[in-house]
Order: sequence, then structure tokens, then C-alpha cells
Amino acid sequence: MSELPKKTNAIPNKVIDLLVSDTLRKNGINLDDAKGKLSPDQKQMLKELVEELTTQVNEFVDKTTSPKKGNK
Amino acid sequence: MSKSKWRALDHCDDKGKNNDADVQQNGEQIVTTKQQSKEWIIVRDSEGVDIQTTDTQAALSLQLGIQAAIAAVISLTIGDTAQGRAVTQDMKQFVKTKQQNVQKTIVEGSRNISVTTTDTDVAVNIQAMLQILVTLVAKLDIL
Repeated sequence: MSELPKKTNAIPNKVIDLLVSDTLRKNGINLDDAKGKLSPDQKQMLKELVEELTTQVNEFVDKTTSPKKGNK
Repeated sequence: MSKSKWRALDHCDDKGKNNDADVQQNGEQIVTTKQQSKEWIIVRDSEGVDIQTTDTQAALSLQLGIQAAIAAVISLTIGDTAQGRAVTQDMKQFVKTKQQNVQKTIVEGSRNISVTTTDTDVAVNIQAMLQILVTLVAKLDIL
């Protein structure tokens, strides 16, 4: 899908996918219309934003869920 | 047996030791509260206690960052309309539940120990939020 840093699955992806799809459908959003509104620049910006957030989340999760390594 | 309880700070009592600050800690509480999610760490009658907790501040700003990103994606693609706002609201709703996390850690009569607490809820919440953002963005062919 992308070159996003892997992992970070708190909830199965299918569940999230279902929730997001359903929310869009429920609110009458047409995905093709929505896609058409983004300029290439905006796409690039959002892509970078998501990548940055993913990195930050991974770092945070690593720090909080594996607090001590090599400390027997 | 059980004549007198061992205390970490016994060596600070009388015996010509003159560090009042340490002695006063005896019986008192030092409370470190860090989490919005109510984390209590009580250290009593102890010394050399090293404590590490989840950095709630970092968690909070990450959450806000992800929420803002979701809102931005929706605003750009759907528009700042009632429809767009309803979608944003619904997305936030997924992760609204179960934010409460109560931890209480009491350290008493100990010397030279280290305590590490983790707030798994916060971490899971942030991961879930990010998943929503990534999924949404993938559906819009942004990634």
C-alpha cells in the first residue's frame, strides 16, 4: 500500500476498514468525488503528514510497551 | 519474630546522622501524578526509587496530531460542511470508548528499586486512531 513504516495494528485492519467505509457510506460520501478534490500538492502534503505521524506513533508505542530491554 | 519491621530509612534515624530531609520523608508521602488517566504512584519510607511512567504529554499531543490530520483530510476532500463534520465526528467516536485508565502503584519500605509503569490503553488508542487515519487516506488514494 505504501512505504509506511510497518506494524501498528491495535485493531484488525479489516475492522477499521469496515468502520471507515461504513462511516463514509452512512454520511453519503462519494469517494470518487472526494478523490477528485485533492491537488497533487495536497496529496503529497497529506502523505508526508501521515508518514510522520506513523513514525511518531511507532516510536511512542515502542517506548511505552517495551520499557526495558537488556535489564535482567 | 516480628519485633520491629525493617525500614528502608532506618539508617537515617538518630545515630548521629544529620540529614533531616531524609528523615522527614519517613511516614510522609511523595505523590507523583502524571496521567490524565489517573495514575498514582506513592512512594513511602523508601529511598533510591527510580520511577518511569508513560509520557502522557507526548501521548496527548500525538492524539491531537492524528485527530487534526483526520479533520484535515476530511476537510480537504469532503469540505467543511455538515456532512464533513459528521464524518469527522463519527471517526472520533470509534476511539472514544474506554479512555479511563486507573493505576495505583505503592512503593513502601524499599531501597534502590526501579518501577516502570505502562499505560497500554493510551498506546492502543493512539494506534487505533492512526489506523483510522491511514485507512481513510488509503481509500482516497493518497498513499
